[in-house]
Amino acid sequence: MSATLLPETTSTSAAMRRNFWRGVWRVMRRKPSRMAGVVILAGFILMAAFGPLFYPDHLPSDPDSISRPPSWEHWFGTDPQGRDVLTLVITGSRYVLLSAGVTALITVVVGTAIGLFSGFRRGRWDTVLMRITDMKLTIPSLPLLLVLATVWKFGNPLQMGLVLGLFGWGGVARAVRAQTLSLRERGFIEAARGLGLSTRHIIGKELLPSMAPYIAMNMLIAVTGAVYAQVGLFFLGVLPYESDNWGVMLNLAVFQAGAMITPNALGYLLAPLLAILLLTLGIVLVVDAMDEIFNPRLREE
Amino acid sequence: MKRLAAAVTLLGLATVTACSGGSTTQSGSGGGGGLFTTIDVNRPGLDAAAPPNPYNPKGNSFSAFNAMKIGWVKNHLTDPNQALPGIAESWEIAPDNSAITLKLQPNAKWSDGQPVTTEDVRMSIGIAYTQGSTAFSVTPGAAGAAAEVTVVDDKTLKITQNMDNPSPKFARGVLDTTVLPSHVWKDVLPADFWDKLKTARGEGAEAEKAREEITALGQKVLAFAPAKDVSAGPFVLERVNPGEALLVKNKHFYNAANVAPAQVKFLNFTGNEQIWNYLTAGKLDHSGFVAAPTDVMNRIKQAPGNEVIKGYSPVAVGMGFNQSKKPYDNVHVRRGLAYLINRDEVTKVASPEGGTPATTTTGIHQKAAPAWIGDTVGQLEPYKPDPAKAEEEFKQAGLTKKDGKWTLSDGSPWKVSMTAPSGFSDWISAQENIKSQLIKNGVDAEVVTVADYPLYLEELAAGKYDVGFWLMALGPAPYDIYQRLYGASNGWTNVAGKVTHAAPGKGGNWMGGPEEIEVEGIGKINPGELTAKLNTATAEEAKPIMTQLAKAANQDLPVIQLWDYVNNQFVSNSRFTGWPHDDEILRLGTGVLASGVWIQLGMVKSKQ
Repeated sequence: MSATLLPETTSTSAAMRRNFWRGVWRVMRRKPSRMAGVVILAGFILMAAFGPLFYPDHLPSDPDSISRPPSWEHWFGTDPQGRDVLTLVITGSRYVLLSAGVTALITVVVGTAIGLFSGFRRGRWDTVLMRITDMKLTIPSLPLLLVLATVWKFGNPLQMGLVLGLFGWGGVARAVRAQTLSLRERGFIEAARGLGLSTRHIIGKELLPSMAPYIAMNMLIAVTGAVYAQVGLFFLGVLPYESDNWGVMLNLAVFQAGAMITPNALGYLLAPLLAILLLTLGIVLVVDAMDEIFNPRLREE
Repeated sequence: MKRLAAAVTLLGLATVTACSGGSTTQSGSGGGGGLFTTIDVNRPGLDAAAPPNPYNPKGNSFSAFNAMKIGWVKNHLTDPNQALPGIAESWEIAPDNSAITLKLQPNAKWSDGQPVTTEDVRMSIGIAYTQGSTAFSVTPGAAGAAAEVTVVDDKTLKITQNMDNPSPKFARGVLDTTVLPSHVWKDVLPADFWDKLKTARGEGAEAEKAREEITALGQKVLAFAPAKDVSAGPFVLERVNPGEALLVKNKHFYNAANVAPAQVKFLNFTGNEQIWNYLTAGKLDHSGFVAAPTDVMNRIKQAPGNEVIKGYSPVAVGMGFNQSKKPYDNVHVRRGLAYLINRDEVTKVASPEGGTPATTTTGIHQKAAPAWIGDTVGQLEPYKPDPAKAEEEFKQAGLTKKDGKWTLSDGSPWKVSMTAPSGFSDWISAQENIKSQLIKNGVDAEVVTVADYPLYLEELAAGKYDVGFWLMALGPAPYDIYQRLYGASNGWTNVAGKVTHAAPGKGGNWMGGPEEIEVEGIGKINPGELTAKLNTATAEEAKPIMTQLAKAANQDLPVIQLWDYVNNQFVSNSRFTGWPHDDEILRLGTGVLASGVWIQLGMVKSKQ
């Protein structure tokens, strides 16, 4: 990252960018699984963004084919209302992914801001902020969410994401602080200080880019955490019923359709589970690729 | 659904008239031994630390197994006072229902060898007062409350009814009382309890104080923990762990020779799917009503030896309207909705195994309706699905259709918002189906869930919902049937025979219907007052009143009756046989485990 210290010209930065993307392409090619990860993630994003547009607001139901097993017509069978399970997974993805995205964003923004500030400033601010972080980390979020759910209905994915995000920044803050503490003693920061560069420049242009990959990976991992958390809450039935929510689908598959007993309802149980599994897989593969792209040691091999 | 089953049973507590006697079924060999496995379907989650106290909500007391009642009230279509013998071998009910004379089983003994005496029954009645039951209540003016308890001789007791506000189901209230051993429970009631009770029946501050003291004793009763189980039933509690409760045969039980199993095991469960697992594995010899989807039901039936016995359950479910909210105050809107909802489809999706689509809205379960209102059922509007009629009704109500969607008369959007407690999967399923049906016909709709049933009832009573599901037709007593439509939930309160009407939104009046209804062919009626009359009417007197109320309910539609419940009993013929198929004894009083009654009366036999 010390390269950024050099006075930049348009041509060199363009060349660097080109090199960077070439590196990315190389890393991707080395393991096809990483390509798969990117395709999966892109697929999910497209599904959440455009999937629901292909279906009517109210999905058609067929009382003559309730809880049917998978078939050519219905790949994952039908639910106890006679709706196509795959359609439910697709229309339900928007809420899940949107709220997970919001959660990840809040987790990372709040966590990084607090971690950077306390690690860079140290002293009294560090003590105060880290005690707050410690306190936050000791609060068990699930029971608190269960209580919150009785007063707040989380009908909007943004609300859900906000609450989960506010519960999740503690770990990121601690990790970012540790990184900052270590980086601020390195030579290039010393040099930047010696050159008389402003604190804003040091944090914004020196520290943050060094940590960017780490933060980005944390963000992706936060997405999986948020998906688990909200699907779990809906599965427990503490949040209001929404027929195409993945957690509600899991709940109904087990407790209403009897998926653990009758194979007919298995598709109803497996569809949201597979969606979650696939999303997690995609994220893990992309994180693996990111690790190599941003970690110079791995790249040089 | 588990919770729903419990709620249904609790609400089913009601009941009314006539008289009956009984004698023990002393037939057959029995005594074959073996282990009988079952569940207490009313109570998920065994608590190993809970005492064997029938009044403790978590108590390890299993009605009809190690807890006995005076009699076991039957599930008769119309007569609430019919019962099977329990601690009482027989009884006589005065023709005017003013008294019941109980004859105790001559050989009844507690599991510690002591005889069951009239003192035990008398003390148990005292304890029932602290909890408040239908017959034994200190609430001033309660209908069908007892006046005096007299010990006639060491096996005979006479209980008289307070005739200021009599109820035809007084005898049921008496028979449905749990009998406890006075030598174990003697210190729970103070020595001056009966004097206090007398004072409590009076008026003024002193009586009020006495009533409070008696109610306060209720907490002591709930907390009482006998050192060990002393049972007059066919079994006695041996041990409980979090997975199961084990009961062994009580050799002192009066009919021990005819009790087939040597041991009974109650398995722990937390939800329906666990019961489905037990049943598909053929583990249970008997289980009471559990809702199950068709596929699961088929699996259960396929397990070797399993049999599902279907019977009558005096409960129905209806879609209730909050008439304080627009546009539900308009009868044409309610009728229009009734024409749009295909009840066959709703039942098929929501409760295919546990319900029968309602033939129409009468307020009475379809099986009991002919007995009460005869041919009138056929004359009522059946509300068969008919979008054209619905359109006509909506137009009459002043609603307008814009771009294929119905809006309120002022043009503002209309969304039918239905609420259900989460966990009541059949209700949610039904509402989801109704939503689909309504949207298909241009009426916007949504389903909202709330955390649990108590909260649902609280918010419903507070008038927070537009539309909610409502348990109704709680037979067999006519008063209990109609007070669900024209009782407290619709504004009418009946205290000491005096009927008062609360304004919509006040005093639990969430339905907010009009106080008087113009009924075609009858004229103006006050349904709440008519319902109150049922509380004291004989069966014959009740019939014309019920006919009027059925017509009123059918025309005015405070609720749309959706489906009438079916009582599914799950039994296994692998280890035991002799299961009854008679509707009247397939379902017994509140919280009573029917198989315990069948076993103690010697109906269930071991398969040799």
